Amino acid sequence: MSKQTAMESEATATTGETLVEVRNLKKYYEGGGMFGGDPVKAVDGVSFDIQKGETLGLVGESGCGKTTLGRTLVQLEDATDGEIHFDGRDITSISGEELKAWRQDTQMVFQDPESSLNDRMTVGEIVREPLDVHDWKTPQERRARVRELLETVGLREEHYYRYPHQFSGGQRQRIGIARALALEPDFIVLDEPVSALDVSVQAKVLNLLEDLQNEFGLTYLFIAHDLAVVRHICDRVAVMYLGNIMELGPADDLFDSPSNPYTHALLSAIPEPDPTSKRDRITLRGTPPSPRDPPEGCPFSTRCPVKIKPEEYRDLDDELWTRIEVLREVIRERSRAERSLSDRARELLGMETRYSSIEEIREEVFGDVAVPSRVETHIDEVADYVRAGKEAEARRYLFEEFGSECDYERPELYDVDGVQSVSLCHRHQSEHEEPATVYERQLSASGSK
Amino acid sequence: MSNTQQVDEVPLTQRIRENPRPLAVWLAMGAVLIALEFGAVFGFAADLLSVVISLIPGNPLPGVVSFLESLGSSIPTLLSRETIPNQGYFNGSGYENTFLGLEPMLAWLVRVVLVYLYAFLFLGWVWNGYVRFRRHYRYADWTPRDDVVDRLRSHQWGQFGLIVVFLFVILAVFAPALGPTTVEANILNPYSHTVQFWNADAGAVQEVTVGQANLQSGSQGSGTQNVGPWTYDDFGRFHPFGTTTNGKDMFTFLATGARISLSIAISTMVISGFIALALAMVTAYYKGLADLLVVVSSDSIQALPQLMLLILLMVVFNQTWLSEFYDGALLMVMIFVFGYWPFLWRAIRGPALQIAEEEWIDAAKSFGQRPWVIMKKHMAPYVLGYLLIYTSMSLGGIIIAVAGLSYLGLGINPPTPEWGRIISDGQPYVATQSWHISLIPGILITLIVTGFNAMGDGIRDAIDPKSAKGEGDGNTEAVAGGSGA
Ligand code: SF4
Repeated sequence: MSKQTAMESEATATTGETLVEVRNLKKYYEGGGMFGGDPVKAVDGVSFDIQKGETLGLVGESGCGKTTLGRTLVQLEDATDGEIHFDGRDITSISGEELKAWRQDTQMVFQDPESSLNDRMTVGEIVREPLDVHDWKTPQERRARVRELLETVGLREEHYYRYPHQFSGGQRQRIGIARALALEPDFIVLDEPVSALDVSVQAKVLNLLEDLQNEFGLTYLFIAHDLAVVRHICDRVAVMYLGNIMELGPADDLFDSPSNPYTHALLSAIPEPDPTSKRDRITLRGTPPSPRDPPEGCPFSTRCPVKIKPEEYRDLDDELWTRIEVLREVIRERSRAERSLSDRARELLGMETRYSSIEEIREEVFGDVAVPSRVETHIDEVADYVRAGKEAEARRYLFEEFGSECDYERPELYDVDGVQSVSLCHRHQSEHEEPATVYERQLSASGSK
Repeated sequence: MSNTQQVDEVPLTQRIRENPRPLAVWLAMGAVLIALEFGAVFGFAADLLSVVISLIPGNPLPGVVSFLESLGSSIPTLLSRETIPNQGYFNGSGYENTFLGLEPMLAWLVRVVLVYLYAFLFLGWVWNGYVRFRRHYRYADWTPRDDVVDRLRSHQWGQFGLIVVFLFVILAVFAPALGPTTVEANILNPYSHTVQFWNADAGAVQEVTVGQANLQSGSQGSGTQNVGPWTYDDFGRFHPFGTTTNGKDMFTFLATGARISLSIAISTMVISGFIALALAMVTAYYKGLADLLVVVSSDSIQALPQLMLLILLMVVFNQTWLSEFYDGALLMVMIFVFGYWPFLWRAIRGPALQIAEEEWIDAAKSFGQRPWVIMKKHMAPYVLGYLLIYTSMSLGGIIIAVAGLSYLGLGINPPTPEWGRIISDGQPYVATQSWHISLIPGILITLIVTGFNAMGDGIRDAIDPKSAKGEGDGNTEAVAGGSGA
């Protein structure tokens, strides 16, 4: 397995020129209120390319930053850091007339057709607005173009004088697509374009999008959380977690032989149509950490079932190891929780608070497993810190004692053997076992129990 | 004209050319209506001009103004006191100088009925214009506004409000024609005008100055000193609402007072509504610092006790040049605007922020629409409805506040008629025969404030059907309540 800083040498399904080049893009939102606080790291340094004419899927759970990434690509948000090259030009640094001119080339189709159309304008006015903004030809030609666009997206030209209220969700989405097409863009960001629609309508809209792509040579960034849809329509897929791209590869490779531990978990959540498949369900514990306080190392390290153990604990039982991770999660949550004044007062008075005592936690977490003394001593230490109200120190202690490279070193995107994907995980380095191998062992172990 | 199979949009002018009849009929109806009142229309324009000119320091064109005014009054109009006079006198056997020789009460009634008939005809004409446009010239066979109009048509409480407000507006607009006498003759310069009356003792028609007649027709509570509603005084003058303490005609006084209250209330609301809307757009679109600045300034204004502030500012500015414009009305408008815009802005801030979150705003940004066009086209229309609700509900509050200030002896300079002053004048006689002096304006104010509120309710339910059905989420809360002085 060769260690590489990926991107440049990456091969893709589509041969052709690169249309969009994203380099180390970051989008942080400053902490709320006047007191600053940690910024929300919605997109935390992603790099990828989009080839001309391809459809790149962007998947992930809600809140992973995929919509923010899409909005940043069309410059609805200003990037905090990094570059977006569009046809070779860095569009994060342009403004004014230049930016306005560039906006003709990229458009966006929004998620909610109820909210993306101004109800007080006729369909014709809505689709025409981009043309008016850019002073496209003459007013007569604009009207003719709008009629043509309405037909293109499967509506009728006499819909020109109707209002959005008079249309169904699917038809409204078609209007939104017509608006996005008006200026003949090269690149369209589709932000979950069918997720708000009835299943019966979804397929029609997806087919329309594919037809339009073929007809006008469009390039799509398709944001979705429905993986089945993604596999159907996308050439390549990027999987996002906590502001990072965890894996990126051709759709078939990614779906058939996922590389990244997170992709494994994500895919295992789709109901498997093939009953003979031996893919088992991986359940992730806990919830994604707050994007205000992402882990130092691998973004997935707080929940990863195949996380690398530090040298001295390699021999530890998987079950016990999971319990230690759970303890870390509990302590982390506690150190982050804002304690109310009354909680503090109760604590000082020795009264019961809504926080369980460390003894209770210990009992709950380690009650039914054997804990060897070399682990026990560290847990005692942690318990002391927690009793003293020093959650942050307890957290630090656990980090230092039980942390591995997953915790303190951010992985790079590695090329993966056998497939054309790149994946953000230390396990692709030669000294470690591949995630798939570890998963398999875990599953067979739990199966034999 | 149906909208199927349009090849290309035809401009409105061409659509009219192709089918000119509906418009022509409508315009003809309008022409008749305006011809009947041409003198008044002209006079109103001249009045407006004179106000504008008087605002220019130095009053440069006094000649022009008076010329226009005299020209306006020389054009005959149907609904004027000259065409249908009521100020005649009894000559022992019949009435002279009244309309068709009717007694003054009936002559006056004829005029009032005609004025309101005319006003409703005018209203009908405007409505007819809308219907004609909708049926003959508009492309869309349905727009969201149609629903609003239709919902308003079935909203009885709102219609009640609308009618009360309309009656009140007509009272104000046609005040000179509606009063049994004029402000000039009866209130401002009573000693330069005379009235003729039938002296039964002497058995002859005699002439006396209005001032003197007024002195003997005041309503002061005691037996002989009272001219109640719907009675004649000793000088054969009819008083639909009775007389004031010093014998002036209440109806004339109130009609003119309505003019002043309404113009102050409407100008305040238009100006502060405009300020509030502009600020709401800017703060909702840019949020952050812009929002914070306006929050701080509006909060500081709202933190002051409003009534105190009003009184204080009135007293401070009372003797300055500002208080001279329009008998102090300009000063009042400025003070009210200062106190009211934060309230209106606060009221529409929520809806504005909500609209700013809609995806169509993002869509417009994404193809490079200019910010102010986004505010105007994609945000303002949605907030305007809310603004309308709040302004109509606050109008009543301003009318009360104007009256309240005059009641306290501030506000509109006497002798210009103002409701609050007459309420205060009549207060000592509330428990006597002369109860009408305070009570009638009191009832009218209550009625008007209720009317404006009902109208606001109607508009709210019309633009926001969810709130009527009770399934609205945030919206209902945002539009609920909201009046007060
Ligand atoms: S780097 Fe470690 S924690 Fe992250 S995905 Fe790979 S194994 Fe899991």
